[in-house]
Amino acid sequence: MTGPVSLTTVFPGLVWAMAALALVQVLRRAALWRAGAAASVPWLSGLASLPRRYLVDVHHVVARDGYASRMHAVVAGGMLAASLLTALAILPPLGGFRPYWGVVAAAFGVMAAGSLMVGARRYPVKKPRLSAGRFQILPFLLLAYALGGTLTALLLALGAGGIALPFTLALAAAGGLGLAFEVRHGPMRHAAAGALHLVAHPRPGRFAGRPDTALQPLDLDAPRLGAEMPADFTWNRLLSYDACVSCGRCETACPAFAAGQPLNPKKLIQDLVAGLSPAEPAYAGAPYPGGRDAMGGRGALIELVGPEARIHPDTLWSCTTCRACVEECPMMIEHVDAVVSLRRSQTLELGALPEKAVGPVTELRQAGEAGGRPLAARTDFAAGLDLPVLAPRGRTDVLLWLGEGAYDLRYGRSLRALVRLLRQAGVDFAVLGPEERDTGDLARRLGDEATFQALAKANIATLAARDFGRIVTADPHALHALRNEYPAFGGRYAVMHHTAFLLELIRAGRLAPGRLSDVSVTYHDPCYLARYNGETEAPRAVLDAIGVSRVEMARSGRRAMCCGGGGGAPVSDVPGERRIPDLRMAQAAETGAGIVAVACPSCTAMLEGVPDRKAEIRDIAELLLQAVEAGR
Amino acid sequence: MRIAVLLSAGRHPVSGAPVLPRLEAQAIRLAVGLGEAHEVVGLHAGPDAAAVAEGLGQGLARIEHLTVAAEADPVPALAARLAALAPDLILAGRRGQGGPETGLVPYGLAEALDLPLIPDVIGLAPEAADRLSLDQSLGRGARRRVILGGPVLATVHPDAPAPLAYAYGRARRGAFEPVAVAPVEVSPGLAAEAGALPAIEERPYRRRPKLVKGAPAGGSAAERLKAATGEAGASAGGRLLVQPDPDEAAREILAYLRQVGVLAAPRPTDDPR
Repeated sequence: MTGPVSLTTVFPGLVWAMAALALVQVLRRAALWRAGAAASVPWLSGLASLPRRYLVDVHHVVARDGYASRMHAVVAGGMLAASLLTALAILPPLGGFRPYWGVVAAAFGVMAAGSLMVGARRYPVKKPRLSAGRFQILPFLLLAYALGGTLTALLLALGAGGIALPFTLALAAAGGLGLAFEVRHGPMRHAAAGALHLVAHPRPGRFAGRPDTALQPLDLDAPRLGAEMPADFTWNRLLSYDACVSCGRCETACPAFAAGQPLNPKKLIQDLVAGLSPAEPAYAGAPYPGGRDAMGGRGALIELVGPEARIHPDTLWSCTTCRACVEECPMMIEHVDAVVSLRRSQTLELGALPEKAVGPVTELRQAGEAGGRPLAARTDFAAGLDLPVLAPRGRTDVLLWLGEGAYDLRYGRSLRALVRLLRQAGVDFAVLGPEERDTGDLARRLGDEATFQALAKANIATLAARDFGRIVTADPHALHALRNEYPAFGGRYAVMHHTAFLLELIRAGRLAPGRLSDVSVTYHDPCYLARYNGETEAPRAVLDAIGVSRVEMARSGRRAMCCGGGGGAPVSDVPGERRIPDLRMAQAAETGAGIVAVACPSCTAMLEGVPDRKAEIRDIAELLLQAVEAGR
Repeated sequence: MRIAVLLSAGRHPVSGAPVLPRLEAQAIRLAVGLGEAHEVVGLHAGPDAAAVAEGLGQGLARIEHLTVAAEADPVPALAARLAALAPDLILAGRRGQGGPETGLVPYGLAEALDLPLIPDVIGLAPEAADRLSLDQSLGRGARRRVILGGPVLATVHPDAPAPLAYAYGRARRGAFEPVAVAPVEVSPGLAAEAGALPAIEERPYRRRPKLVKGAPAGGSAAERLKAATGEAGASAGGRLLVQPDPDEAAREILAYLRQVGVLAAPRPTDDPR
């Protein structure tokens, strides 16, 4: 086995052995996924769209960090090309053709350069968001395989060899087999599980260009409600958590993590991985703020959430469901779905809601309104305004959905502005009055699917008895529920956010705003409008139409930071070191704008509650009304 | 220990939806909070068990339903069933909520079963030798701890811990058990009395301004405020006695009752001194 001729077989054989080892490791991993519940996966379309999902959707996310994108192109591209070419060399005509080995050497050389890029992220100092542990060995394995491969291929190309070849080959084997071994527990798992996850993704709609963000309805007659243990997740969800590469992009985006609340999305996903796998190596990334020790059992049938379990309940209730982690995840993991599944089990099976959330959820169930206020009082904000109520079998163009913000004195001002704008534009509109119940958004985010479904069915029945063109609402949470989540229960409506509707009125010439040119505004995107519904342009277009000077915060649009008001976080009220709205207002202050424009009752309440505010909080409707009145 | 929680059909004070009264949900929490070792059963007498189904989601595993006509007095049926169950502790709300409520059912039961009634309980704890410690609310934050054994009936005060969250899964697992009720003979006199009741007019509740007795019509604002807040009135002159001698306490009470005119002034010959 010393001559170059036999080595042209041994070297490709190494790559085949690597592939076999990687396959064994994947199969050992897959045995764990089989513990999960059944899921219907469109395999054929998933497989067919894998290249597109990887090259377009994943790349779109990865490319936000240009270095990571280039690094992957070089190291993964080089490795795939080099390994494939080497594997093909097992055919004698190729293996015996010396220039072919020159090409192989070049591919390995590219990979070697990429390996150095991988190492540069971790040595001498690791980027803080990355995990250490097994990930710290990765650059050495890559470099060993790449260098060993380059040298072996070069020697084969030159026809030289002799004494050096066994050593270069051994180096390549050490690196290559090490990489293949790491497919089970180590960093290379993200490549195998990630590719499979893209094929079997639980939300294929995400890759079809539409925001597939509605929570999936829970069958309330199912024997088990929500996820209490790993085996309660569907198998492709378990697979998706294995795809996590611990890059930590989610933790830099997470508002609860930034506020020092005990949530780190990366650790949460890694806890789901470790909870399933008894042999998982220790977690080596940033801990949950507060530094809780790893505890709790492991296995497919182990309880995941509890004061003594892997995930503390406070971790679960810190999430604002803002989807910032999902937006940033290059592996397309659905963190919020995981959180809500775990919450459903806590709420529906155990009644283990956070103490302060019990009241609002009880009122939602019993009174159809989280504050337990009379439904007829919802229109009190409009005292003195002419606000028509749509009776059963009545007809209107635009049904104005008021939402729970209507009870809030501050937000009532925004709604009054909206109503006056609609009057001004001569819109035929009406409200449901005392027939409007809460959409159930709060109950659903807190895991109380039973109350949500009851409210959804009641609202759908109310709406079915009335004739209207479309629904306009100023509350993105209501918008998301009505537009994206009610269809699963048979309610299909054209739902518009008030900013989009106002823009339509301006463009149709029905509103003629003047210009507020001496006002400087920064717009805060509501999560449920921007990330959940992809609407970031209409509010900005309205602001541009009234001529304010508009500045953007560092985090805006689909990557904006949450105000802290979603997902029941304000009622759960998990203590942290800082408050999320304070952080957001500090970001707004960096722009120097005098006004923070908002488009959501939750954002209004959260941001206006910040002490020592330098900027005013104004809804888009209020600014537009001011401009319209200035224009007269 | 066996604990029975009495459940009534209530209504939400704002929406009017049929709900389990909050006080009874609090009673369930108190009972369940004693621990898994104790058997807790809900008991409802009424035409329809669905009215108290929420109790299953708020901690009860089992509710016994005694079918009783809507207008009928539930006390005989409850008393018969409780005599058979022989629970060590019976919990009830101190009053109903929006349903047919008299506030008298616990008292009627205590009389029928010859049990002591401890009103306004806000906390429960087991004591040694099968005794129970009950914390009573005396209003304005004052508390009293009562330790006693044997079967006892207690009513729950709103200051008790808030109800447990409703868990849909638990409600689904919980069970109703219909219990046959012996027909209660209604004495003809009572029936005639019920038939002779005058027609009742129902009107929505309207909050009326509070009238301050003896408030001076004139005088300065400060004087009127003083009169309204009672700083100058009889209530301002109270005396606080801490663990007084029983004789002294009795004398104080008699003196007070005489002062406010409930008792006649003593005749000189009756005075023991």
